[in-house]
Parts: sequence; structure tokens; C-alpha cells
Amino acid sequence: MREPNAVDFWRGIALITIFINHIPGNVFQNYTYSQYGISDAAELFVFLAGWSIGIATRGRDGVPEPAPRTVLRLLSRMVEVYRAQLVITAMALAMLAGAALALDNPLLVEWHNAGPVFSDPIQATVGWVTLLHQLGFFNILPLYVVLLGLAPVFVLLSRIHLGLAIGISVLLYAVSLVFAINIPSWPVEGHWFFNPLCWQLLLVLGFAAHEWRRSSERFLAWRRRLMPLGIAIVIVGAVLSWFNLRPDPLAVPEPRLLFIFDKSYLSPARLIHFLGVLLAFQTVFGLVQPRARWLTRQLAGLGRNSLAVFSVGSVASLGAQLIRFWTGGGFATDVFVVGCGLASLSFTAWFVEWRSRSPRPSSAA
Amino acid sequence: MALSLSPSLLGGVSLALGCCLGFAVQAQSTTPQPGQVQPAPAPPAPSQQPTLSQSAQPQPAHAEIPALQATAPSPDAPDPSLSPECRVPGSKLYTLAKLKAVKKALREHRAVQVLTIGSNSGGLGTAATYPVRLEDALTRSLPDIDVTVESRGVSGEIAFGAAERLRNQVAEIEPDLVVWQVGGNDALARVDIEDFSQSLAETVAWIKSHGIDVVLVDPQYTASLAKDDYYRQFVQAIQKVAEREQVPLVQRYEAMRYLAGRAISALKGGDTAQAGAGFRLADLGYRCMAEHVTRAITVSLLQPDVAPVPVASPVPAN
Repeated sequence: MREPNAVDFWRGIALITIFINHIPGNVFQNYTYSQYGISDAAELFVFLAGWSIGIATRGRDGVPEPAPRTVLRLLSRMVEVYRAQLVITAMALAMLAGAALALDNPLLVEWHNAGPVFSDPIQATVGWVTLLHQLGFFNILPLYVVLLGLAPVFVLLSRIHLGLAIGISVLLYAVSLVFAINIPSWPVEGHWFFNPLCWQLLLVLGFAAHEWRRSSERFLAWRRRLMPLGIAIVIVGAVLSWFNLRPDPLAVPEPRLLFIFDKSYLSPARLIHFLGVLLAFQTVFGLVQPRARWLTRQLAGLGRNSLAVFSVGSVASLGAQLIRFWTGGGFATDVFVVGCGLASLSFTAWFVEWRSRSPRPSSAA
Repeated sequence: MALSLSPSLLGGVSLALGCCLGFAVQAQSTTPQPGQVQPAPAPPAPSQQPTLSQSAQPQPAHAEIPALQATAPSPDAPDPSLSPECRVPGSKLYTLAKLKAVKKALREHRAVQVLTIGSNSGGLGTAATYPVRLEDALTRSLPDIDVTVESRGVSGEIAFGAAERLRNQVAEIEPDLVVWQVGGNDALARVDIEDFSQSLAETVAWIKSHGIDVVLVDPQYTASLAKDDYYRQFVQAIQKVAEREQVPLVQRYEAMRYLAGRAISALKGGDTAQAGAGFRLADLGYRCMAEHVTRAITVSLLQPDVAPVPVASPVPAN
């Protein structure tokens, strides 16, 4: 078990933020940083995944591991994430159906795009198992599956030259934005909530940041120097978000995805804002850790076991939504459901590590 | 367990309904009574013409739209142009407002593009989804006009970001008309009604400001929510926004409540609280939606161009 570090710490924060934001309307939502900027925890999560790939594909001595090993490692991780997505989607469907039966409320089976699974099961079963049909809030892991499928290409390209990997990633991003290319959803018309063709750029940037940090003194110097710029971007983002100022998607010139604030396509404004957030908050972990060791240990524990924690968080946030609906919500309910949720995330992190320490061998998450 | 009977029952309903639907729209040429008044609002009634295409008298508001096949029905009697299962009086089915963009497209004999937002269910086990049925029903009501319907689901809550994504979807498709099943996610998430109303009003105003028409469809009625104050206020909030922003509203809540009441009286005191009744009603709601939306659109198109229409929206009673 590794010591708390900045990556795990921030990933823990992203996990908690995503959990709280996936219970819409709860009082704590107003206190997550997603409410005060153009980008949100999803960006952080994907960027850190790229960073982790940088760590995972090198040995302890810092030497890149053999290419076949890297490919297998990333693909096996992809299978693991896919499996998690199937399990949590199946649980979510059963929770919605079960709640609909228990509360005699057919509206609940329609919630979060679940409707087609029950009204059109033949097509929708194919849809959700192939990730083409995604439930609302259960759309981050499908993105991950595709990103992990793409990752070996970028990692191997970076071994020829890091610039090559970044160049191809930027090109793919730009083409997808300009021509609005996204994976379609099915059987319901539309597209993926998170467009992997655009979001791959963040993964590659996370990976590249890790590589630069290892090899370049100048990277650290520039990171410090650009901190004021990051703070300025965060302030602008907060103002835009606070006053709800954003470009009118029917008034911007073509290609409009370059100008609007769009989460699916990770539009440039979101990307710039997120890079600003990174620059602005780069020193926070170093400041917090010595002062709040228990907190950093907890958050890093969540971050170390992110797939299991994310999966439990997804199911817990749906459970919290159902409880809020059933009870009518309110402050006490919010405190209860968010409190129980956070406890279950923490327990999950502990449990996964306990299981990997315990005699019976099991795959570490 | 509780639902184990319903697939076979629904199969039966689906067969019956399938037949009815075939006739539904063609069978709409019931001659209106003289002196008949239009639903909800009461503007000068264009009720003397059986269909607009046969209109011989100079009726500047409508004569320019030769293709529209619709009559204004009586507000209080079940609308006979709807198929029997879906028959609801106009006053319980819609509040009206003008649809300028669609009307303009009709005048110019241009294709009409419709974007539906929300569930695309056409009912359990039905051959066609709601967008397909809507396209079908609109094409029948507007012969000679090419109607295409695109659909998008929207995940998340209008009060928290879904409105933003909806704007992007509207910009992507640039339709003439947006038919928006609104509020389901927000109501289940029990978001603050004020926040929801404000987001909804802003989004509707934004769509209209770009010369695109909007028809709102409010959330479903189900017996277990009949006494839920929050839910009722939520439905009322949507009516208020529709009224303020002058957009037609398909009152799915009221219509389904009416259909539920009819089903109960038909059973004559039988076991009305049987398991799964709510699920069958919800299914019927989806089966009827395309018809109901089409009806609200065609009757809204009969709205005269002059003078803004005060919409008197019936509020769901207890």
C-alpha cells in the first residue's frame, strides 16, 4: 500500500465530488467545486487516469516496461472496467425496477434513460451490454473503457516521441470537434455523453504531464511560473459560472463546438479552464498533507482504489436519489444519504485493501 | 411477481390499440357543432370548417395553410378524433398557443423538422417508437408536408446542466419545433421547484428567441403520486411556464388522470387497486402520447395569427 500522494489525494477528491454531484438537488452539491467553474471533476478524473498510466507502464526503476506487457496491462484494465460497468448498470436497473415495484411508481423505470431497457428490452439489452445505451450518471466508465483501449497506441507512440503521441491526440480532438464526430448511442438516437474521441486528449495530457515531470526540470519551473495564469483562469471561470454567462450555441460561428461550453465534446473552454485549475491548485496537496494527515490518508485511500470506490459510489448515489425521492428530500435526508454514502466509499477502500492483504488471493483493484 | 400478468394483458391491449390507431387519424372528420368553442382559450372559433383544406370562406389566418387536416374539437367532450383508448376532452389534454415557425414552414411548403426531447417509448412491445409514431401522425395530419422527427434523450436535470445540453442539441439539429417531455428527471430528483421553473422558462425563451417553436409535455400521472404535493406543484409550475412563455402544453398529467378515472368507472367498483394498474396506465400514456402531441400541435396551428391568446390553464385539482 503506497503512501498518500498528490495523485491519489486528488482522485479521492474527484470521487467524492462525483458522488455528491450525482445526487442532484442535495444541499452539499452547492459546495462542490463543479458549481464554481466551467469544468468539473470528470476532467480531473480522466487527467489523473492518464497520469497513472504513466506510472503504471514504467518499472520501479523508471525504465519503460516491454511493449507487449504494456498492451496487455492496459487491455486487462479495460476488461476490468468493462466488467465493473456491466455490474453497476445491472444493479442500477434492478434498483430502479425494484423501487418502481415497491413504490408502485412506473415513473421510476423511466428515470435516467432506463426506460428502453424495460419497454424495448430486445434492442436495449444489446445496447447497454455493448455500452451503446448508457444510464444517466453511468456514463463515465464507458468512456474509460474506450480510453483504455486507445491508451496502448498513445503509450507506444510516446516511446518513439512524446510529441508524436500528443500531436496525434490533438489532431483527433480537433477533427472530432470540427466535424462533431462522436460515438452514436443505440437504440435511442443521440450520442455518447462523454465523447472518447475528444476526452482522449485529457488522458494523453495527463500521461504527458507525468512523463515531463519525470524528465524535465523546466516543466516544474514553468508550472510554478504559470500559477498566476491558472488563478486568473479559475477566477474568470468562477465569474462566468456564477453569473451563468456562456456563449449562445445558436449564435456562435461554425464550427460551433469550438466556441460553446460543451461537456460531451470537452470543448476548448472547458479544457482551458481545467488546465487553469491544475495550475492554480498544484501546491494544495503539499500544504494540506502536513496539516491534515487523517484527511489526506482517507482521500488517498479512496484514490488508490478508484474503480471499486467509483462503482460503489455510482450505486450509492442512485440509492441516495431513490431515498430522496421516497422521503421527499430535505436537509436531514441529505445529511443522512450523503453521510452514509461517504462512509460506504471509505469502507470500500478499506475493504479492497483488506481483501488484497488477506490470505485468500484476489485481484487487487 | 406483481407484474407477472401484465405482458399478456399488454399484448392484448397492444393488438386492439394497433387496430384502433390505424383508423384513428383518418376518422377525425366528425362535423363540429355550430357554435362550438375552442378549447382552453376562447378566441374566435374557426369551428365551422370541417377541415382547413376545404375552407371556402376567406379565413386569412388559416387559408394560407392548405394542408392542415384538423378541426377544433369541443373542449369538454372526449375528442372523437383520438383513438378510443386515448380519448380525452381537449380541455384536459392541452393548453394552446401559436406555433409561428411551423405555420411559416407550412405556408412556404417547406419540410418541417421536429426534435423530440425525452423518452422515446411508444409503449411496451409496440412495433414503433414514439418518435416514429409522432412522425406518422403528423404526416397524416399535415399531408403534402414532409415532416421528419429526430429524437434525443436527455439525462440529468434541467435545473443542473441538462438545460445547457438541451441548448446544444437544439443547435445541433436546428429544428422548426421542439416537443419536450419536461420535468420527469427533475421531479424524481425533487429539485427546488423555483430553480426548475426558472431554468425551464429561460430555456423555452431561448428556443423561441431563435424562431423555433416549443411544445411542452408535462410529466405522467400515476396513482401513487396523486397525493404528492410536491409533484402536483411541479406539474402546475410547468403549466405556469407554458402560459407565461406562450407555448402549447400537452397536459399528460391531466389526460392520464382522466384516463385512469375512466378505467376505474369502467370497472364499476371492481378491484381497481390491482397490482400493476399504474404500470398499465403508464404504458397507455406512452401509447397515446404521439396522438396527444399531434392533436395539440394541429389544434394550436388553428390559432389565429392576430392578438396574443390568453391561456387559461386548468390547474390539476386534488
